[in-house]
Amino acid sequence: MERELTQITEIVPREYGEVQVGESALAYGAGPINTAGPVIQNRQEMTLLQKLEILSDAAKYDVSCSSSGVGRQGDGTGIGNTAAAGICHSFAGDGRCISLLKILFTNECIYDCKYCINRKSNDVPRASFTPDEVCELTIQFYRRNYIEGLFLSSGIIHSPTYTMELIYQAIYKLRTVYRFQGYIHVKAIPGADPELIQRIGLLADRMSVNLELPTAEGLQRLAPNKHRKNILTPMRQIQQGITQNKEEIVVYKHASQFVPAGQSTQMIVGATPESDYQIMMVAENLYRKFDLKRVYYSAFVSVNEDKDLPALPGGPPLLREHRLYQADWLLRFYGFEAGELLSEQKPNFNILLDPKADWALRHLEQFPVEINRADYRTILRVPGIGVKSAQRIVKARRNGNLTFEDLRKIGVVLKRALYFITCNGRMMYPTKIEEDYITRNLLAGKEKLPFDKDGMTYRQLSLFDDTMERNWREAVGG
Amino acid sequence: MEEYYILCEDSPEGIFSGIYDAYLLKKPHERIHLMVKEEDNYRLFANYLTCKPDGEKACKVARTIRKQFGLEAYLAIFRAVSSAKEDKAEAVYKTVVTGLSMKNPVKVLENLKDPFVHRVFEIARRVGNETHGHVEFLRFRELRSGLLYAQIAPQNDVLAFIVPHFADRLPLENFIIHDKGRNLFAVHPARQDWYLYSGTEETELLIGEAAKDFSEGEEKYSELFTAFFHTIEIKQRKNYELQRNMLPLKYRKYMTEFIYGNKGL
Ligand code: SF4
Repeated sequence: MERELTQITEIVPREYGEVQVGESALAYGAGPINTAGPVIQNRQEMTLLQKLEILSDAAKYDVSCSSSGVGRQGDGTGIGNTAAAGICHSFAGDGRCISLLKILFTNECIYDCKYCINRKSNDVPRASFTPDEVCELTIQFYRRNYIEGLFLSSGIIHSPTYTMELIYQAIYKLRTVYRFQGYIHVKAIPGADPELIQRIGLLADRMSVNLELPTAEGLQRLAPNKHRKNILTPMRQIQQGITQNKEEIVVYKHASQFVPAGQSTQMIVGATPESDYQIMMVAENLYRKFDLKRVYYSAFVSVNEDKDLPALPGGPPLLREHRLYQADWLLRFYGFEAGELLSEQKPNFNILLDPKADWALRHLEQFPVEINRADYRTILRVPGIGVKSAQRIVKARRNGNLTFEDLRKIGVVLKRALYFITCNGRMMYPTKIEEDYITRNLLAGKEKLPFDKDGMTYRQLSLFDDTMERNWREAVGG
Repeated sequence: MEEYYILCEDSPEGIFSGIYDAYLLKKPHERIHLMVKEEDNYRLFANYLTCKPDGEKACKVARTIRKQFGLEAYLAIFRAVSSAKEDKAEAVYKTVVTGLSMKNPVKVLENLKDPFVHRVFEIARRVGNETHGHVEFLRFRELRSGLLYAQIAPQNDVLAFIVPHFADRLPLENFIIHDKGRNLFAVHPARQDWYLYSGTEETELLIGEAAKDFSEGEEKYSELFTAFFHTIEIKQRKNYELQRNMLPLKYRKYMTEFIYGNKGL
């Protein structure tokens, strides 16, 4: 076919639906680059390929790879934009999303955290990038659509401040010299000069400080150089920076944005003896008191031999990690509180049932709910109904009463929901509303886990990055 | 009762022109049907009409939909129209009719009880997913001239949905995205607006040759990224099944990290 396409292009929408429009101009409010700042000498000459292998290998245990939280169009003068929902660009052999070029600036480290492959006492090959190498890799990968941006973390070389200064150099160059407008996530190193954190915050989209372990005691045991207080200080600083910045932007439209995609953190699960209840309470507090965007849970992967570390013959506690993410979802999008899901008396999640079904079965007195009348929050709590379906139900029922067939079309997983709902006063089948009976039936329809329940091999599971939320919603709702 | 079957070209222009012609008939809409492919069984007593694609008519319909239903619904309808499904023309046509009869046409796609609206919703979602898949997994390769070139082979006609994303992202690059199956090109010259180009056999050949002449950097960065792709995997969490669910095999044919080192570049 050789027809002129001009007429077609006239009706082709020029908008890309999924991308949200944000501030178009990226303002870089940071100070000048400190060329007299620290420079690392590599121990021996290495190729870029060798460095990349070492420094991505060393970075991979950090869970977060999300590129979500800020939608920003390019301003036409450089390269890059960001999508509010985030974008995955590949999936590694472990099924985890690859969205950002996740690397350490250096894997040299003066600390000796027992769970970490880069700990001082480990004899592993060490390498460091230069700021230019970080920029080159980011830009060249980005142009080819391999990545959404950069995730830059680091081992600690000389001191936290010295290390952050190096990171600052790289990011500053990337934003100003290379005009990179894609996504940047920077890990803040506790103990670094707050002024540096402030300056990096004006260049990065997301920052995170790792909580590392759920409790101060755990931290003391496994990361003797780190202290809970030192971790919470920069977390608070970033939180306050974000709040203050939002107020400034109201007044001065073009004020530079400070960490516009928000702050996240992660904690290792299964290296120390905390219960799921303790972990969820910590997460809830982080969301409430530090306004975090995301808390990540990382099933402990044993990389070092150490008497203080658990043996974990069954591999990383993947099912447990999975349950924590499910519950985390319930806190953030389903209006649940940690205290509703677990308690001192019932401190750990059910191995067989997802937390939402588990909760519903313990609250059968609240069911069944009438789909055509119940409010949104109530509908959200029904197993088999996710956020999207709940929203669709509330909208679609304005055009008339919904039937079970309508629900199926909307995306409700009826074989799970049917025990908990009525449509126009009727249940789908005559069924007993009785805990044992429903439990048996729910278990008969096998739960879709993102890994095998084979305790002897290491299997697992995705990252639950924001872009995977579409799959995830189904897993939680269904 | 007389029924009317309008056969339109399988393109946005064709289907929108078909909707225009359907309204021109001034018959009850239940008795008019739109199709993009001829039926095997001709019905007796049915009138078969053929609609010639007409840019002006199509633009009028597009403008009406956009104005009455709003941008979001227009994008959804446009996605549906770009689907490979054959019943799309009828579904879109009837959805437009339903929408225009509603008090608040902006809410047309919320009316999921209506089977045609539901169908539009469903196929638009599939096209949306495929669009998103290519935004994620498409790979550019740098040719010797510095031009970035990507090949895709989508099931649905999603090329036009993908380009705005990259045009915004790479304003200073010359790039081409090539839909192999449809021999359709999206061309983005640096600092300029992009356009679609429908290729001939000649262009196919020309491009085929040019697209094998990579820049020096191409080899280097393909190798670097492929290495990164392998080291970033946590071996203790190996899970090929999950990887396959998240990244279906059909996309991998054009993805650097899966082809580099196997078949060469
Ligand atoms: S500070 Fe601790 S966790 Fe971070 S790189 Fe050094 S040893 Fe590893």
